Amino acid sequence: MILKLLSALVLLGALFAAGCATVQPWQRGRLANPCMMFDANGQQLAFDTHWQAAREAAAGGFGVQSGGCGCKQ
Amino acid sequence: MKGLRAPILLTIVACAGLVFVTRPDWAQNAVEFSFHAFQDSRGVTVLAPVGSLDKDFTDRTGLRLKFGVDAIAAASDSCARCHPSGRGMQHNYFDAGIRHKFGDLKVDAGAEISRENFYSSDTGMISLSRDFNKGNTTIAGGYSFQYNQPKLHPSDNVATQWSHDMYASLTQTLSKTTILQVTYDYNRVTGYQNSPFLRTHVNDIMMLGNVPDLRNRQALAVRIRQALPGETYLEADYRHYSDSWSIGSNAISVGASHYFGPALLLGFDYRKYTQTGAFFWQPFYTGSPLYYTGDFRLQPFDSGLYSGKMVITPELGFWGMPKGTSLSLQYERYLATTNFQAATFSLGVKVPW
Repeated sequence: MILKLLSALVLLGALFAAGCATVQPWQRGRLANPCMMFDANGQQLAFDTHWQAAREAAAGGFGVQSGGCGCKQ
Repeated sequence: MKGLRAPILLTIVACAGLVFVTRPDWAQNAVEFSFHAFQDSRGVTVLAPVGSLDKDFTDRTGLRLKFGVDAIAAASDSCARCHPSGRGMQHNYFDAGIRHKFGDLKVDAGAEISRENFYSSDTGMISLSRDFNKGNTTIAGGYSFQYNQPKLHPSDNVATQWSHDMYASLTQTLSKTTILQVTYDYNRVTGYQNSPFLRTHVNDIMMLGNVPDLRNRQALAVRIRQALPGETYLEADYRHYSDSWSIGSNAISVGASHYFGPALLLGFDYRKYTQTGAFFWQPFYTGSPLYYTGDFRLQPFDSGLYSGKMVITPELGFWGMPKGTSLSLQYERYLATTNFQAATFSLGVKVPW
């Protein structure tokens, strides 16, 4: 299952990399805006994922996990 | 509130220390301080100040430090069973990491120590990333190991739990205004995974749970950001999660942000979350079940989260702070089909140096 998903991820990556027009550095002005960055506000993201993990069974998908916590009672 | 003064004071002192150590003429860096407040329909209040320092020593090497506290002012239902007037608790954590560029390869390694009244956790993590295709494609991966030790309150016995987490991600620029990220995350947790606080009815007797000591979890997330004309930005995230306890979950969030002039950003975000229950979850148990639990997180439910945010970045800075200093405010409202509700408020200041 994991191998299948990883293979799909790599295949998807290859497709995107091959199918997308290259954006030149001088054309990246709007891409550099914080609104276009994933996880631009790290502290807010950490707080949100922390309390959501204390209420929900699902977690992960957005990078390495950290900060184990027993505050789930 | 008395019990909360010490952690808040400690965090302010720690942040002041971070500011102090950044006085020398180092390269570009930032100090960030945020204060989060959480309150839910059970009457639990959590105040969480966090301070962090991000510092590049050279153009290839940087350091990050983070210190935070969760000060819990009232106790949840399970605590109130034995402590009717509630019980204050505190969770402190310290995170340190270093990043370095080896040619085109970026390596980030770090560790976190987390301590609270009945739980301790130590984490080591490493992540790698590399840009391809003139910076339009980034492939990243990471691994973290966590050693957790829950104390089986009210006894003094301590259990152990190990968690291994791995992820791989691809970030792809699709156009001058569109960027996409796909991430796969695998997490394997072994050891004690019960809660010493949550009980369930087994043959009409309240008992602590008994759950499998192995849980394999995986998540696939897709995120996209789109810039629109007129300084408007759209975002959409989707995550599918499944685990070996038969829990399946989907989370989708959509949001929009708009600049009202160069100094003011307003944004709104909505997140819809659904999950199925664990294969052994039931409201109550009869007979001789192998597994049983009173963990509310393992039941099926849906939830909605509404968020509004405002970021102010005055052109010339404010409060005598450097240009580029930003102040952010965020409010969130969480509503679940289990009748659980929560609200959070966050205030953050980011100071570049």
